[in-house]
Amino acid sequence: MKHFKHMTGPYILWSAAFIVIPFLLIILYAFTDGGLSLMDASFSLDSFQEIIDPLYVTVFSRSFQVGLITTALCFLLGYPMAYMITKFDEKVQPILILFTTIPMWINLLLRTYAWISILSDNGIFNMLLGKLGLAPVSIMYTGISVNIGLVCNFLPFMILPIYTSLSKMDPALLEAAYDLGANKLQAFTRVVFKYSLPGVLNGVILTFLMAISAFVIPKLLGGGQYTLLGNLIENQFISVGNWNFGSAISFILAVVILFTISFLKRIDPDDED
Amino acid sequence: MNKKIIELKNITKTFEHHQVLKGIDLTIYENEFLTLLGPSGCGKTTILRIIGGFEEADSGSVIFEGTDMSKLPPYKREVNTVFQKYALFPFMSVFENVAFGLSLKKMDKKVIQEKVEHMLHLVGLRGFEKRNINQLSGGQQQRVAIARALVNEPKVLLLDEPLGALDAKLRKEMQVELKKIQKEVGITFIFVTHDQEEALSMSDTVVVMNEGIIQQIGSPIDIYNEPKNRFVAQFIGESNIVPAIMKEDFLVSFDDQDFKCVDHGFLSNEDVEVVLRPEDLILSKPEYGQLTGTVTSITFKGVHYEIIVNSHHRDYKVQTTHYYEVGTEVGMSVIPDNIHVMHKMKEA
Amino acid sequence: MKKLSTSKIFYCIYIGIIFAFFYLPIAVTMFFSFNSSKSLTHFTGFSMRWYVNLISDNEIMAAVSVSISIAIFATIIATILGTITSIGLSKCKKIVRELLLNVNNVPIMNPEIVTAIGFMILFSSLRISKGYMTMLLAHIAFCTPYVITSVYPKVKTLDPNLVDAALDLGATPFQALYKVLLPMLKEGIFAGALLAFTMSFDDFVISYFVTGNGVSNISIIVYNMTKRTNPTINALSTIVISIIFLTMLVVKIVPYIVRKRRKETLHEKIS
Repeated sequence: MKHFKHMTGPYILWSAAFIVIPFLLIILYAFTDGGLSLMDASFSLDSFQEIIDPLYVTVFSRSFQVGLITTALCFLLGYPMAYMITKFDEKVQPILILFTTIPMWINLLLRTYAWISILSDNGIFNMLLGKLGLAPVSIMYTGISVNIGLVCNFLPFMILPIYTSLSKMDPALLEAAYDLGANKLQAFTRVVFKYSLPGVLNGVILTFLMAISAFVIPKLLGGGQYTLLGNLIENQFISVGNWNFGSAISFILAVVILFTISFLKRIDPDDED
Repeated sequence: MNKKIIELKNITKTFEHHQVLKGIDLTIYENEFLTLLGPSGCGKTTILRIIGGFEEADSGSVIFEGTDMSKLPPYKREVNTVFQKYALFPFMSVFENVAFGLSLKKMDKKVIQEKVEHMLHLVGLRGFEKRNINQLSGGQQQRVAIARALVNEPKVLLLDEPLGALDAKLRKEMQVELKKIQKEVGITFIFVTHDQEEALSMSDTVVVMNEGIIQQIGSPIDIYNEPKNRFVAQFIGESNIVPAIMKEDFLVSFDDQDFKCVDHGFLSNEDVEVVLRPEDLILSKPEYGQLTGTVTSITFKGVHYEIIVNSHHRDYKVQTTHYYEVGTEVGMSVIPDNIHVMHKMKEA
Repeated sequence: MKKLSTSKIFYCIYIGIIFAFFYLPIAVTMFFSFNSSKSLTHFTGFSMRWYVNLISDNEIMAAVSVSISIAIFATIIATILGTITSIGLSKCKKIVRELLLNVNNVPIMNPEIVTAIGFMILFSSLRISKGYMTMLLAHIAFCTPYVITSVYPKVKTLDPNLVDAALDLGATPFQALYKVLLPMLKEGIFAGALLAFTMSFDDFVISYFVTGNGVSNISIIVYNMTKRTNPTINALSTIVISIIFLTMLVVKIVPYIVRKRRKETLHEKIS
């Protein structure tokens, strides 16, 4: 088998060029102040100081808020869903899971586009309200539309890990709990929920991290008014042209996310690696 | 029979700071059934993999029919291997597995068909051609692995603990079968195992190994009756190993008694060790024994009883067909032929 | 099985609502792609005019061909690169393996936007003009890690003696690779390729940051057109989503049916 060990060679070079170097470049821009040109760049923490500006603090706190709301909603909607799926026949479960997975494979832009035509001021939602004799509401380009889009997009990421945890549970555990005198609620809170905790943790952290770094959904459903971290990064690179500041925010975002996920992997017993 | 086929000369191999082979010299002859025997980690599989070409020795050479093949890749060597857990190709049928080597040689389809059929017949798997590998039992997979290797008509077949995954009964059957196949094809088998019984019952030559060193090479009978050192004596069969003093040629003393023996050539008064096989100790009334002792336990083993006799100096393990009450005083004697004197093993 | 308990009925309703939340918006867009008027709220009659519009729209058709060709090239190259890397990984030193696997995980875990600006800075620093080539390179780079994560676990579970067995029987290392290793890994490779294709085909964020000179893919076109209501996008959406939906169904359900068939024929043979 020794013959194949050199087959990693090409990818070592490739990943150095396309993963390591880009990351180093982001770090380089984040910690210097030379603008677009790296020739006359020198070490500086200006970009990180700039973040304290109230304007940007708002973006950070708003992203955090959106992340929390999205995660909470996904959990409240997703947990019952995952739990109910496990109550179905073993032949039906894979089909329900398949239909939970398919949205993840469909182009995000097209799914978000679909929401625009429903939520916009003269869209179907308001038309239906009108038919019911209710006054139209303005949802589009608000926090509500952004949250609807985010929840719709990230809900499968909450359902799947919880389902995985729950489906691994031996039904005998529940019987044992009843046998030992637990009522339905006690059996759920003390046995089932505890058992699904690794999945919950996985789902919650994944959803939160994806929500705070979301970029397309807040842009399309929130319009220009609703700037989150992802949009701030885009602005810095595309419109403002301040690569140093954009890199600094990206760096923070990346570090937070990479550390959280590697922490999550370490404590998750389900993960083999 | 005595033509050399493979010679290993001073082979050494180190894996990550651990020296697994510490200078192996071994000559293997044509038509021989040779077994590499030793506890796990003794380096026996590494020797096999070096002969097969899957590992390269750090130093030394592998001579095949007089030419050095140390640097030859596995696919250019005239040896084939039966792997641990068989390594059959699971996506191929029995026929395709066996035909794999021949079809690589671009042989005529008809010839391949004939050879494969013949080989499956030899291993007793006629009619299994179209079966899937995972539809076969462990023993059947084993046979496919043997057929797949033998169909290439190698000059040497390497078998890496091939019976390890089988249950005890099937193992016994396959031992007989393997020996029969070897006689039929008339080539050299190099067999690796940690099971001493397997080694003794199948081999022409047994190579006992420990910690990367060959301890003894010999026929099963030699190895059993005349172990060269404490390791071999303990590893092969059951034995009582007793410290002793070699008073002079043909006279050894232990447990304050002198015994006649057939060994000679030691220094006078040399510290030695004596091997006494449990079945060679003869029990009698105390007054007729060379040694005396008390029976402290007795266990029924099917054909015989295993008795522990405490002789005031030590416990002896004895096999007998007679029943003795615990607490009985007995005498023990041994004929000179059954006393085997060894040099004392230096502590590593 | 005889009676549906009340809780089961409640479960069905709840799951139905969640699925409606997932699929209804998509269904509505698809529905209005067949509308004869431009309205996205009132269905005035069945028509294929938006599909005709779609085919005659050069800009959209160019984007479609960019999306498809990039997805195909990126899938082929990422699958080859990912597969040979996975095989090599199982044989190389532990330090190299762990380092490479960790590096490989970075693009998977990192927010897409960070990966995207990383590529953008890289191409700008090298003064490579942005367009089709940069998009292709970026797609290969973010798809390969996914191929590795689906192929490498399969390589890990293989008996390491299988390749030795092939070499032992006279196969050269190359023959051992394509006659033994690849057939055994084909499921993982196929899963990796499928993942790579859909990732590439659906991608917006990375493409958006690394493209230039007017080269757009479907996602970018949709992004640029969301400001105005445009039923042509609905038509495009309908086609793309139908294809992905059908592919997913086929890919997930066909192996299930095949396995069932095989079991049945096996039973027939035995009985």
